Amino acid sequence: MYASQVHDYLRTFFTETNCEIVSDEGFQLTVQLTIDMDKKIMNRPFYWQYIEATDSEPNPTRLMLITDRTRIQNQFVGEVIHFGSGRLNQIFKATKELGSFVQMYEDVAGTDNQTTLTPYFCVNYKVSYYCDQTKEKIHSLGINLINGDIEDNFHESICNLNLQSNIPEKAFCLQYIIKPSRALERLDMMIQNIITQDDHSWAEEAKNRWEKELEVLNYFYKDTEEKPEVYEIEKKGLEERFNPRIKVEIINGGIFYLK
Amino acid sequence: MIIERSSNWREDFIERVDNDGPWDSWTLYKMSYEVEKMNLIPEFSGLQAPKFLTNLQLLPHQVEAAQTVIEKMNGKAILADEVGLGKTIEAGLIMKEYMIRGLVKKALILVPASLQNQWVTELNVRFFIPAISYRKNTPIEQYDVVVMSMDTAKKSPHREKIYEQDYDMIIIDEAHKLKNHKTQIYEFVQSLKKKFCLLLTATPIQNDVFEIFYLVSLLKPGHLGNYETFQESFAQTKRSIEGEKYLKELVNQVMVRNRRSDTGIEWTNRQVQTIPIQYTKEEREVYDMLCELKSVSSVFSSSFTMVTLLKEMCSSKEATFLTLNKMLQKCITKEEIDYIEQIIEKLMKLEINAKAEKVLEIIEKANDKVIIFTEYRATQSYLQWYLYTKGISSVLFNGKYSKSKRDWVKQLFRERDQVLIATESGGEGINLQFCHHVINYDLPWNPMKLEQRIGRVHRLGQEEDVHIYNLAIENTIEQKILDLLNDKIDVFEKVVGDLDDILEKKA
Repeated sequence: MYASQVHDYLRTFFTETNCEIVSDEGFQLTVQLTIDMDKKIMNRPFYWQYIEATDSEPNPTRLMLITDRTRIQNQFVGEVIHFGSGRLNQIFKATKELGSFVQMYEDVAGTDNQTTLTPYFCVNYKVSYYCDQTKEKIHSLGINLINGDIEDNFHESICNLNLQSNIPEKAFCLQYIIKPSRALERLDMMIQNIITQDDHSWAEEAKNRWEKELEVLNYFYKDTEEKPEVYEIEKKGLEERFNPRIKVEIINGGIFYLK
Repeated sequence: MIIERSSNWREDFIERVDNDGPWDSWTLYKMSYEVEKMNLIPEFSGLQAPKFLTNLQLLPHQVEAAQTVIEKMNGKAILADEVGLGKTIEAGLIMKEYMIRGLVKKALILVPASLQNQWVTELNVRFFIPAISYRKNTPIEQYDVVVMSMDTAKKSPHREKIYEQDYDMIIIDEAHKLKNHKTQIYEFVQSLKKKFCLLLTATPIQNDVFEIFYLVSLLKPGHLGNYETFQESFAQTKRSIEGEKYLKELVNQVMVRNRRSDTGIEWTNRQVQTIPIQYTKEEREVYDMLCELKSVSSVFSSSFTMVTLLKEMCSSKEATFLTLNKMLQKCITKEEIDYIEQIIEKLMKLEINAKAEKVLEIIEKANDKVIIFTEYRATQSYLQWYLYTKGISSVLFNGKYSKSKRDWVKQLFRERDQVLIATESGGEGINLQFCHHVINYDLPWNPMKLEQRIGRVHRLGQEEDVHIYNLAIENTIEQKILDLLNDKIDVFEKVVGDLDDILEKKA
């Protein structure tokens, strides 16, 4: 993420979350945080506890963020923010929290007749494979709530459509046949299938590495009749390092009425 | 295989469907997806961390080291780069990579007390890892990344508190401090769970081949066999090795060692010379009398005391006097006392220090900044006085100096004085690339101490050849030290790998 991308990201993020942008010079952004945003990204729970307990006038932070350090004159004012920095990670986290669930309708302006919109339900999954190494995949699964068809890469197929949060005037939205809670179960099953059918040689390899290291450890203690506590500790360390695990997380998801 | 499912997203979603909202912003929804995509780890191999580390210029050998540790050594390794190549950077990079990959959350970093703050700063500023410095009463369970001094960690109640934590990663800096398996710190680290573990040391062998056995056994018990099989296969005695090729190969499976010459950076040369020195007749007389001491008095029966005295006599009469005078208090019989007083009298009458004269000669010939290392404080003061009488200004340094005092000394040396005289403990933690001459006035037993001394000057940023002068008085204990140093270097090179020159090459 380049400095200019970070800058655009921040501008959009704060605009979208109703934080007033006081000034924007392209390499430096001054933002008046709302109370909610201050609580999310400023790490000062004690301050807010105090304000609320004493019923005092809240004073949310005015943040001056510097996205391109090379272009500023006064080095001592403001906070440098860049890819990898803690503040940006917090803002990423806040984005995730504030962008979890949507319900959107495709814009049908320009058509004369009433247009029928079909309901879809999408879940964006992140699947992580862990052993002593990590690999992640995103699966964006969308299910048609009328006929139950499921497709992958759903998000990519809709992210550039013209969508809006209110039902368009001339649209007729079909009532879903498959209930969202049921659809969620189907997608969960689908993701499980996708995982099961994936190549899991990584897990076998990790187990082999584990076994090899265990042999080495056993060799060290081969002449010891009663194994010391250290042996068990080492063994546990090996298990935690190599034991293959899979984790499924949901990034976000929503209901979409599409043409 | 178990599939973990996380988050309450499902319940929250159903609730919103039932209540028809509230729904989130489509823009934020898309941004969130994009962030996930950007931070995705698409492959098991390769490094993700460098793209996050915008405050850091990584060198190719550092990236390669991190990758080797993660991909080939499965996250347990000895980082043994030569001094000055950035072992700390490599360790930080590896830790960051594991944190990004979700494999390490809690980490403990054990370091010598003098390096504690430096580590905390490096991790926070360069790696954006929120590390804290452990002090007494720090609520350790509240922090994920803790930097602690080894001396604190091994003691109660701190050690118990550490055992209660469940660390994913242990990093130990200056890990040669763990070479002795009978020490408290060794036992402490041995009993610590080491899921991922890095041991940092430029000197995995200092004195004998068993040190590498104990170090590797801490990291990966069994890798070099157990004690009996190791001894049988490789080490009949401390400094003779068999099957060295195999041992080296085994060691290299758990150790990354970059040498200056592998880094692709241009390094200046080291010109190492051994300077033989002849005692004056009077000095020789005193030295010989000291040698006789052990047959005169039982106070001197310990070989340690004798060796100390003889080494000091090779350094300065001032250093010798302090020890001798202390020993005198322990003597009882008149005969003993007379003999020692006789030595002291002769000692005090010595007017010439042959070694110091040689030093003066070297300094005058170099006509440049010079660092002198000695093992003794008394010699340090003497040399300053001696050089002063010859019109040469100098500044003293030792390892107990605080950070600000170190900086001050460094500045004086850079701008005012021609000579810096440092004691042994001053070997670590000061970098002086602007100087090109190092005099080892006394020789330590441990060759790695010499390497560390030279490393103060011969490191990244040095632009000229570096001259090293090892002084040894002929037909004294220093001759033996020189031989032993050569043997130890030989062991190191056979097991660990080549070293830059520390001593003059044998013909």
